[in-house]
Amino acid sequence: MSTSTTAGPGRRGILRRSGARGPGRATTRLASAGFTLIVGLAMAVLLIQMQGFEPFSTLAAGVQYAVGDPTSIARTIAWGLPLYVAAIGVAIAFRSGMFNIGAEGQIYAGAMASALAGAYLGPMFTGAHLALCILAAAAAGAGLAGALGWLRAAWGVDEVLSTLLSNYIVILFCAYLATGPLRDPSRQSGTTREVVDTARFAEILPRTGLTGVVFLVVALCALGWWLSEKSVIGYRWRMTGESPAFADAAGIDVKGSRIASMVASGALCGIAGAVLVTASQGRFWTEIGSGIGWDAVLVALIGRARPVATLVWVTIYCVMRAAARGVEQVSTVPSELSLILISAIIIAAAARAGVFGQFAAFRHRFLRTKGR
Amino acid sequence: MEWLDAFLASGIRFTTPILLAALGCLATSWTKDLNVGLEGAMLFGAFFGVVMGLTTGSGLAAVLLTVLLGMVAGASFGYVITVLRVNVFVAGIVLNVFGSGATVYLLRSLFGVKGTLSDDRIPTIGKITIPVVNDIPIVGGVLSGHTVLTYLSWVLVVLTLLAARHTVLVRHMKAAGEHPAALATAGGNVTRVRILAQAWCFGLCALAGMQLSMGQLSMFTEGMTSGLGFVALAAVIFSRGRVLLLALMSLGFGLSSSVAVQINEEIMPPQFAQMIPYVVALVGLVVLARTSRDGAARIATPAMES
Repeated sequence: MSTSTTAGPGRRGILRRSGARGPGRATTRLASAGFTLIVGLAMAVLLIQMQGFEPFSTLAAGVQYAVGDPTSIARTIAWGLPLYVAAIGVAIAFRSGMFNIGAEGQIYAGAMASALAGAYLGPMFTGAHLALCILAAAAAGAGLAGALGWLRAAWGVDEVLSTLLSNYIVILFCAYLATGPLRDPSRQSGTTREVVDTARFAEILPRTGLTGVVFLVVALCALGWWLSEKSVIGYRWRMTGESPAFADAAGIDVKGSRIASMVASGALCGIAGAVLVTASQGRFWTEIGSGIGWDAVLVALIGRARPVATLVWVTIYCVMRAAARGVEQVSTVPSELSLILISAIIIAAAARAGVFGQFAAFRHRFLRTKGR
Repeated sequence: MEWLDAFLASGIRFTTPILLAALGCLATSWTKDLNVGLEGAMLFGAFFGVVMGLTTGSGLAAVLLTVLLGMVAGASFGYVITVLRVNVFVAGIVLNVFGSGATVYLLRSLFGVKGTLSDDRIPTIGKITIPVVNDIPIVGGVLSGHTVLTYLSWVLVVLTLLAARHTVLVRHMKAAGEHPAALATAGGNVTRVRILAQAWCFGLCALAGMQLSMGQLSMFTEGMTSGLGFVALAAVIFSRGRVLLLALMSLGFGLSSSVAVQINEEIMPPQFAQMIPYVVALVGLVVLARTSRDGAARIATPAMES
């Protein structure tokens, strides 16, 4: 594939860390995580201070709201469940060199498919009905992403732009369905019919919103990790991502790997949409996704598409998001604080090597002129 | 004939933000730092245009200050991607999310409103009505009665075209993308040229945003760019560095957005009409990939290996 001139050497391939091999690897990672968290914390303190509140007590109240007691921890996790699945999905595609930034659209497609399966396929045995909803969502997401993956693999259609544009097309199409032919007539706004009770996960902890879907999410995360890091298929996908030419020479089916990884990624994003419907919302409505797909892309970028790192960052982000809501309750700081912080953290993580290099160069120059 | 008049006139109006953002992005595509954060930059431009308009009370001052602010932001973005070596794709994606989050954050903390900020004191950008031309049926709607920014965008097309042919600066930008070492040997400053391209891009994105918030409307709405930045990005990718083609592409997207507004709800549901520009872009992308010999342009995505 001569068309795939992804990141060139040196100047552009920059999510890598140069010194991240050998015995110092763990400490380097820890240092880098520490650096980014300190930048994030400093930003948070600064922004809260600018709104005229005492930063540390406000932050503490926010963190208390997010992870203060078992109930709030359960609530924070329940909020984050769709994001875990979507982020793993995006990471799998990133790892094989397919920049699937159409996660938002795939989540909408999945949510719509599962809402329809839940509402129109009749009451039936709960487990079977839930399985049906999730399969429908996975199929919708996989079909969408797989088609774009095929366009990329077979015809060289840039997947960054095509997935980006597909977001708008899919979201508008779902909005058409929810406000037009499939609208719930008893509701004013654009929503589909409520799903049947057998298509909803039961709460396992009362009044927290944490449902049995948590087991499914854990299983999917484990599966995603195994698929990407431990399986032969995942190895082929990773080789395709790192060097398509090498993978081709080694006899790996590059085309197939690209399409398959997009299918897996889309299926997981679709399931994230199903989680939204079957575990919390109970129906599709026109703004159900609310940017989860973009959050997933950001988290996968900051985790450098490693499943474990991605999951850790999803957890951190979920706590941040819940804490931002807590901060909003005790002050006038808007909860969009968490979006600003995660942006700062990603740039800090990506710029860390550069910043340290600049600092070292500056010190070097300073010391040298002083010595003369 | 009235519908044609309305269609073309609104087509030109819709073209302006796309064309401005695309012209800005073109410079970054010359330096091979294709900025995918146009959407976020436009949103910031739209927001700060309104803020500056409310504080200064004058449209001209608002435009000048916001463009200046945009160029400063662009220079810092350029610093981050060149000196601090952050991948431009990552930075662009983050810029989009940051733009949508930060404008809402500022809207709520500065004005205490959610959703939409509309105020009678927001100045609008002046419209120019050309005396005689305005009365000619179709030509009048196309040529007359648009904002200053619309005329500026077409002047910029001509200037960019001339600059691309005759100036050293554009040649330096292209060299910084094609062969940075050659530019450095020839005495050019690669980093400075790349930062300059980003500053230019952000300045024009600020103009594009202001066309939305102060030219077509006089209010700011959360996420009001609604994908126009990505459509502009598609136009840049399609044109592959050629200015005239870029202008034509932008015009095409502008006209297809105008179709979306003009189509009656009875003929087609509004959501399908709104899809038209994105579908056109997607189909165009596929056609481009099938027809071009050297393959479609690729966005420089980062390597994910450690």
